[in-house]
Parts: sequence; structure tokens; C-alpha cells
Amino acid sequence: MASHDVRDMLNLPSEGAGHRPAKKQKTSAPRPNLKGLAREVQSLGGDNPIAIVPEISTFKKRRFGSRKPTARWEMRSFQNSARGDCSLHLRHWRKQTDGRRSRASSQPQQDGNTPGDVGMGTQSESEKLDDSGFAKFNVQVDVPQYSEDQYNSNLVSNDWTKHETDYLIELARTYDLRWPLIWDRYEYTPHLSASTADGEGVDVTDPNTAVVPAPHVRNLEDLKRRYYEVAAKMMAVQKPVQYMTQAEFALHEVMANFDPDSETRRKKFALNALSRSPDEAREEEHLLIEVRRIVARQEKLNQERRELYNRLDYPHTEQDISTFKSSAGLQTLLQNMMNIDKSKKRKSLMDANGMNTPASAHPSGGPPGSTPVSESRRESIAASIGGHRDSIGGGERPERPSKKGASQPERKKLSEQEEQIYGVAHYDRLPSGPTFRYERINKILTTKSHAQHQRITNTLTELDIPTRLNMPTRPVVEEMEKLLNAINILLDIRKINDKVDAEIKVEQAKKAERERASVAQAQAQTKSEDTDSSREDKKSDQTVTNGAGAAANDEVSGHPHERTNREGTSTNGATAEAMQIDGAGESSLVKQETGDDKAARPGSSGAHKRSASDLSSVSDNSAKRQKK
Amino acid sequence: MAPPAGKRVKGTQVYRPFIYGTTARAFNETTHPRPAGVPPDHTHSWEVFVKGVEDTDIFYWLRRVQFKLHESIPNHLRTIDAETITRENEGNIKKQRAFVVSETGWGEFEITIKLYYDSKSGEKPQTLYHHLRLHPYGRTEAEKEAMRSTGEVVAWTFEEQLFNEPFEDFYNILTSGVHDKGAGSKAGKGKGKGKSAQQQQPAETGDVKERSAMIPLTTKPGQPFSREAEAAEVKQIKSATDSVNDMIREINKSVKAKEAQLVALKAEGSA
Repeated sequence: MASHDVRDMLNLPSEGAGHRPAKKQKTSAPRPNLKGLAREVQSLGGDNPIAIVPEISTFKKRRFGSRKPTARWEMRSFQNSARGDCSLHLRHWRKQTDGRRSRASSQPQQDGNTPGDVGMGTQSESEKLDDSGFAKFNVQVDVPQYSEDQYNSNLVSNDWTKHETDYLIELARTYDLRWPLIWDRYEYTPHLSASTADGEGVDVTDPNTAVVPAPHVRNLEDLKRRYYEVAAKMMAVQKPVQYMTQAEFALHEVMANFDPDSETRRKKFALNALSRSPDEAREEEHLLIEVRRIVARQEKLNQERRELYNRLDYPHTEQDISTFKSSAGLQTLLQNMMNIDKSKKRKSLMDANGMNTPASAHPSGGPPGSTPVSESRRESIAASIGGHRDSIGGGERPERPSKKGASQPERKKLSEQEEQIYGVAHYDRLPSGPTFRYERINKILTTKSHAQHQRITNTLTELDIPTRLNMPTRPVVEEMEKLLNAINILLDIRKINDKVDAEIKVEQAKKAERERASVAQAQAQTKSEDTDSSREDKKSDQTVTNGAGAAANDEVSGHPHERTNREGTSTNGATAEAMQIDGAGESSLVKQETGDDKAARPGSSGAHKRSASDLSSVSDNSAKRQKK
Repeated sequence: MAPPAGKRVKGTQVYRPFIYGTTARAFNETTHPRPAGVPPDHTHSWEVFVKGVEDTDIFYWLRRVQFKLHESIPNHLRTIDAETITRENEGNIKKQRAFVVSETGWGEFEITIKLYYDSKSGEKPQTLYHHLRLHPYGRTEAEKEAMRSTGEVVAWTFEEQLFNEPFEDFYNILTSGVHDKGAGSKAGKGKGKGKSAQQQQPAETGDVKERSAMIPLTTKPGQPFSREAEAAEVKQIKSATDSVNDMIREINKSVKAKEAQLVALKAEGSA
């Protein structure tokens, strides 16, 4: 067979069928033909070669002719650049190179035999030391690099300080990303502030620094997560995602999507799986088989049930079917169905199933389990009833299945990178149709009233933001939306502020009014008796007019008219005076209190205290009033 | 307009960046003399255009652009078809890849730009408005001065065309056939899926690829729109947002204080 194929391939004429038997005999021929054995002896072994190994008496020819001078070896010193300590010089035997041989031949041969002599030393010094052949295996892994700025803008984390991140990266470099090793050696001591670090020896007793922050116990996943986070972010910083190559992008995705939880879970599973006893393993296997069987049975059951449903199913309609209930109605329905079947479905149905007669469309006559027929039947019934299916018009119906089949597989799934390149994004809700990115911002601005729009524009100008965005890309627009929201809040709050201001003004005006009234009253009171004035005092305490008023009441006996005259246009100086007066009043009060125990007095003292505390606001108000 | 075939791709949005705007130059004796046949009262030559970022091809999604100029300009409705441009491009080495109208004039006005999309998109035309700038403008004197020194008044606007829920056919057009600039410049409809596999070979340079939604990495002269500019703008807006938030906090505080004061005043008043 093999030779036949070969001939076939080489285009040699085939030897025909007559050759076949000969070939069969030949099969035993290409047996290793051992020399020095009779053919008969050899054939004794049958198909198996005889286990007699003939002695081979040929010797290698001595190579007298091609004798070369023996290779010279020398003890040569070398260094290993992979080592940190480059001063370490070791020596090893090496074949002499051509360049040296000339020198060596002039020299006596001794330097090979006496390693480490003086000549050797000078030689190694004069020439550049050979690098060890193993130095190249000392590969350093690439760990992410970042500057201070980059760290601050991209990598800041609540959990990790920069110092600790540096430490982790350094460890990753040292141990070539061998994570178990890194985790094992991870002994981070939180970075203490410089002052405490300096005087550590002394400050141990100091209660402030004695509290050493408890070092985080980080597990392997924590370390990995931080490392991958840093690496992915730095990768994206150096090259935006759109411009990455496929491999880079894949790496970036892997690192960015590192999930420590699933990793932990995976390890736990693995641990569990590895620590099973044989019995447990066997039981598990049993259970798995059982589950598979159950699932298979379930599927089969579901399948059967579905078929049954398909057979029983009929289209639900909201239409009144009573028209079809009479025999005449049934007749028309049948007629309709037949017409539709004839016009549309005949061809496809014939292909799908040969038994397409109008009779087979009758519910009782349908072949069991043939879903295409029942499907099409349903459709035809639905169509006859009035196209009550979805929103697809009857005209499009025959086109639909083919279209669906054609376009569905055509829409390929885009990878994330491709989506970036093609600018594909997914949203939950979208109004369909073309729009412009900037329109969104525009809408926010233009849907506002004119005044509000003006206010927003003014605020934007204040902030030195152009009203038309320079580059309305997605991130810019998103930021802009945030800004506009903030501005809206700001404007609202300003409005509230203005309103409160206005209300305060009204209240103050009211108060001024009351004051004037109370002062007028006080003036009237001066003529009346002291007891009345003390009662009036209490009243003024309740309405908390102000300290000056109360003080004026108190000091009425002293110089009433001057005070009250000033009261109308009370300046800061006046209120300061009022405070003085207040103080005087209080001191006098203390005397009074020590002197007599009248029930009315404590009330008035309360008024004084209150007025003192209110003074500051009062002075504000009075200043404002004066501005008016 | 061809009837939309197939269904819309639900919940999907595809965007394409492009630039529209005007460039104007004033006539003067030395560098930019008034050509013959131009009325003496015309002071500037200008052009209005719609083009892709970095002059990439946009004809595969933009079929036609109609510029509506001022009524006083003869034949003020200018319609430019992508097809005519590609036909004219045949044989030329330098391909025209933008929709451009060049004119001369003396006054600024608003140009209405109507974009007609590829017939496969099944979308209605959309309208943009652009104010023709002939005289240096800007928010600051420095900006104006910069324009004066170059002699060109540039009013370019970056915009992104969003196709929300495109029809499947159009979606396929938009999401296939990306290739590096210069590689296979015949921007025909025939290219697509077969090529896209090998065209995926990434370009190490930050160049914008044809048929992609990419934006150049860095700003270049004559190409002010880039990731760089975007990042700068984001930063600017962010800082503005921060300052607004600060203002809000401040005003909030003062409002609270004032409200407390008001409550006190009211309590006084009612007591």
C-alpha cells in the first residue's frame, strides 16, 4: 500500500494488480540483515529478529594523520555581571582563544598548570574580564514605574500608602514576581514620620510614639490586587487603551479585572479538592454521575413537555372568537386558512414536511412532534385572525425568518478593544436616531429659561469655561454635566440666600419698628412709677428687643433722654456705650441683688444677660440700618 | 432614502468624531491678493467644511452635506455629495476627503449645515449651525492676537456624531474595516470583513486609524483636537466643578447661619 501511494505521488506507472502477491511476500524481506549469519538461521526467528548480536570487529581508525596539537586550556578569571558584587573574581578553565595562543606559544606552557600565578593576575587585569555565560539568565522582570506625580494622580489608595506600594513593587522586582515568595517575605513596617524614626531609641517610652501602628496583615491576594492595579493603571497611563496592541490590551484587561475574591475562592476549592480522601472522591464521582443523570432526565422531560405544549398550544387572541364558533364561521376560518396556506406557506411547508394538505393543518391531523408545522400553523391561524402578532405587518412575515437567520450571526461580538476603536458604547435606554454629542449640553442650557440661561452663562464666564466645549467627547461631556449640575445647585442656593437676606431685612425692619415703639413706650414709662418700669422691663425681655433698650430702661433714672434720642440712630459706638451701660447696670444689679430680694429683679437681670449676648448681632443690624 | 432594513441594534451607540467650521483669510496686496472676478467689496475669502479628524474618511457614514449660505450669495444652497468627490478624486494623487465650499465675501452670517447619512443608516438628516467668522475673535485679547498673526481666522468645531441604536446593516459598516491610514486608501464599500482581520495589526504610533472613532493622541499644528486637548479640558472643567462646589459649601454655610438668625428674629417677633 505504501509503495502504491508513493508511486501515485511520484506519477510512476502503477505495476498493476499482478504485483500484489509479490509484494506480500516481500513484507518480511526488509528485515535487518545481520551479517555473518546464515539465512536459514536467521529465518528461524520468524518475524522477530534473533537476539544474537554479531560481534563487530571493526575498530576506529587511529587518527594519526589528522593529529592536531592538543588544545590548550588556561585558567582564566571571570566575573558575573549578574551578581551585585562585581569585585568577586573567580577562575575557570577555558580553551585558549586564537588571540592568546600566539602569546601563550611564546610563553612557556606553565601558566595553564599553575593557576593563579602572577602572570595570570596581570593578564586578567590588563584585559576586560570575561562575563560569565550564565549572567544572561539573570533576567529582571519589568515592574511598573511611576513618578511622584503619577502616583498622586492615579494610584492613590486608602488602603495603601505610597511607601508601602514602593515596598511591594521593590519586593516584586526582587523576587521576580514569584508571589508566594513575595508574600512570605512581606514584612512591611509602616513608615513612621521622620522625627519619630530619628529618635526611636529615645522615644520608645514616649506614650505618643510608643503606639506603633499595627501593620496590616496582607494576604497574597491583597498584594496581587495592589500590584495588578498599579500595573494596569500605569499601563493605561503610558498608552491609552485604544492604542494598545491586542496582546497589551489582553494583559491590561487581565490585570484590571483581577478579582481577589474569586482567586481566594479558587484556591479554597483547589485545597478542598486536593485534600479529599479516596472515599470522598469516590462519593463525589457517584454524585456527579447521579446529577448528570438527573439533569439529562430533566432535559428529556422538558423536551417532551415542550413538544406536548407545542401540540396543545394555540394562539391566544383578544379578538372575539365567537364568530368562528358557528359552523358557518368555522367554514370561513377554514377557507381563510386554506387561502393563506396556498398563497404563502405552500412552498416552505412542502419543503419542511411533505404532508402539507389543508387537512393536515387541522388540529387533529397534525403529525406528532413536528414543530415547524405547528409553528407555521400557528402563524397562519394568527394571520387569518387578523395579523394579531406583535407589530410586524403581514407583508413582512415571509421575509422575517430568512432575515433573522442572515443578520443574527453576522453581527459579530466585538471585543472590548474593538469597541473602543469603533466607538461603540452600550446604554440601557437610548432614543434611536442620530444626534450630536454636544446636543446634550446644549439641551441642558437651552431648556432653561432665558434668565437662568444667562445666569449659567455668566457663572461659566466667571469660571473661565467656554460655553461651547472645545472637544465634546464623552468624558468631557460627562464632566460638563457635573459642572452644570453643580452650577444649578449654586444658583438655587444663591436664590435661597437672597430670599433669606430679604426676609432678614423684613424682620429687622419689623424689629426696628418694635424698638421704636418700645422706646416710645419707655419714654412714656419714665414718667410713671418704678414698679411699672420694672414690669415693662420684663415685657421687653420677652420680646427681646435689644440690650440697649433694656439698658435704657434700666438707666432711665440716670440720663434717659439722651439715650433714647440716640436710640433711633444707634451706631456702633452707641452700642458699645450700651455695653458699657449694660456692664454698669449689671454691676449695679449685683449690688441690688445682694441688697434686696425682690421677686421682679431676677427677671430683669435675665434681660440684661440676654441683651449682652445679643449685642453682636444687634450691632450688625444697627450698622446695616445705618447704611440705609 | 432607502427603507431601513433589519432591526435596530438595541441599547448601542456608535460615535464618530468629526470637525466642521470655517477658515477665513482677509485679502491683501502682498500675501493674499484678491483674485480676478471677485467683487471689490469682498474683503475675505473663506471656506466652510465638514471633515474627519486628521482628514480621515467620513464618506462611509456621511453621504451628502448641504451648506445653506446667506441668501445674498448666488446659489446659496450648496449640496455636496460624497460620490461626486470620490469621482473627482479618481486619478488625483491628493484625495479630497472633506465636504468644502469656498467663497468670498464681506460679512459674517450663520451657515446651516445639513448632514445626510449613508443610505444604509436609514436615518434622517441632521442640522448643525455654524457662525462664519471673518474677523479675529476670542474671549481674550491674546486669542485674537494669535489669530491676527497667522492671518487666518479659524473657527473650527469638534463634534461627535452619535448613532443611537443604528440599524444592523449600518452597525456592521460602522464596526468593521478599521485599518491604518494610508494602507489601502481606496475607500470603497467593498472592503470589510475579510480585511479587518489582518488590518487589526496595531499601529504603534498614536495615529488615527481609518474607519475608527479614534482621536489623535497629541495636538499638532493644524490639528487642535486630540486626547491631550480633551484631557486638558476635562481637567479645566473638573477644577471649575471643584470651585463651584466650594462656593456652594460656603454659601450653604452662610445661608444656614442666616437662616438661624432669621429663626431667632422670627422667634423674637412672635414672642
